[in-house]
Amino acid sequence: MENAALLAKIEALEASVALTKTVNAEVFYWWCTALMIAIHAGFLAYEMGASRAKNALASGLKNLLAFAFLVPTFYFFGWWIYLAFPTGFTVSEASSAGVAWGESMGPNLGDNASGIFWAAFTLFAATTASIMSGAVIERIRMSAFTILAILLGGFVWILGASWGWHPEGWLTTSWGLHDIGAAGCVHMIAGFFTLGVLINLGPRIGRFNADGTVNHIAGHNMPMSLIGLMIIVMGFFGFLGGCIIYNGGTWMTIYNTPTTLSAFAFNTLMGVAGGMIGSYLVTRDPFWMMSGALIGVISSAPGLDVYFPALAFLISFVGGCVIPKLADMLLVRFKIDDAVGAVAVHGFGGVWGLLAAGIFASGYPNVSGPAVSFSGQLMSVVVFAILGFAPGFAASYVLKMLGLLRTDPKIELAGLDISEVPVKAYPEASTIPAFTGEALSPAE
Amino acid sequence: MNSAPITTWEGAKAYFTFADQPGVLMVISALALAVCVGTIAAMIRHENACVRKANGA
Repeated sequence: MENAALLAKIEALEASVALTKTVNAEVFYWWCTALMIAIHAGFLAYEMGASRAKNALASGLKNLLAFAFLVPTFYFFGWWIYLAFPTGFTVSEASSAGVAWGESMGPNLGDNASGIFWAAFTLFAATTASIMSGAVIERIRMSAFTILAILLGGFVWILGASWGWHPEGWLTTSWGLHDIGAAGCVHMIAGFFTLGVLINLGPRIGRFNADGTVNHIAGHNMPMSLIGLMIIVMGFFGFLGGCIIYNGGTWMTIYNTPTTLSAFAFNTLMGVAGGMIGSYLVTRDPFWMMSGALIGVISSAPGLDVYFPALAFLISFVGGCVIPKLADMLLVRFKIDDAVGAVAVHGFGGVWGLLAAGIFASGYPNVSGPAVSFSGQLMSVVVFAILGFAPGFAASYVLKMLGLLRTDPKIELAGLDISEVPVKAYPEASTIPAFTGEALSPAE
Repeated sequence: MNSAPITTWEGAKAYFTFADQPGVLMVISALALAVCVGTIAAMIRHENACVRKANGA
């Protein structure tokens, strides 16, 4: 009898431990998701501040629309795409778990994982749309932005994630891609998609003079942008936490290699600092210093699990020094009017991060596929760049041909808020020209 | 309307509304998608109206 009682107690204890692990995992991703919403609060403040006063609310509305539309889109299509295409374009059997009307895609007492993983990935999806939204402010049509955001966040990036940010993704199983923090599928794809859109969208009126020289277009609230950028950095702790597979007992990377949350803590913070210092050194500009924090996160993201923290600092420092110069080059040489430097920060930052992992994390073994190598990282960079750029360019080209991409010049000059938004951002300031649309020149 | 796919909580797994009726779930999903598409169409109409207003039409 005593043995039977003891066995029953052990069984009860084991069941309790298993339940605790399940609950711990659910709780972890729940709070990662909540923290990732801070990314969107940050982008909201950052982009409204980077807009002129006459466009502040329209810029913010765009961020809110992206968030609202990405949730259902990712529910209906995104999660299924992630599960369906790790091997390329062949639909995997595992995709049945992602069908919107399947048993896993709603309250289910036998499935504690699908909802929280879907939620975390949905916030990654919304982040890709937010990356694009800052670059296109003050002249894109709201509807065109929403359509492009859905394409990017609901379809394009998640195909890249299925290929390169999945335990069975072909970029890893074939080439050994190592991209723990999603620098490729999130940042690079969003950055290159944005580049494709910007080429068709064109610059804001007044950005360039007839001789090709550049006019500075200042946002109306730099302090709000700086606070927004810091909030994004905070949100990235949720983002990067969500990049780790936690089953309640052990921590693993998305590629099923072991890691710890401590590893991520060391290298995320050191990366943020390196990027900030690098960008400060080359610009002395607080806007770029805080963008440098993002550059730092992205530069170190692929190797957060393995870098020596001082190396992560240096990799991010180099990114922080170089990326602002590349943003200048895009503007001055190629006449790409990226209002917040998103292409350089996310697109080129992602390229640097992936290549840096090829240089400094080369030789680390993978569970599935060859060891990490520079050639594998380089080939993956090419795939991510094409996967991001081609659909962004093609979709925005079609919208342009249909006359749906860009707002009317009169509305652009008057300000999108006064034309399209039924409320005012600063009603008490209605007599100040910059707030009324009666700007003194197109760049004001 | 009985939307419950279960009659007891004992052994219940997928228990969300209409979980045992895939056809109904597809119709609801299609309606939700239609709301999204319709809102984008409304957005385009609103923008076109703003353009006409700005151009004095």
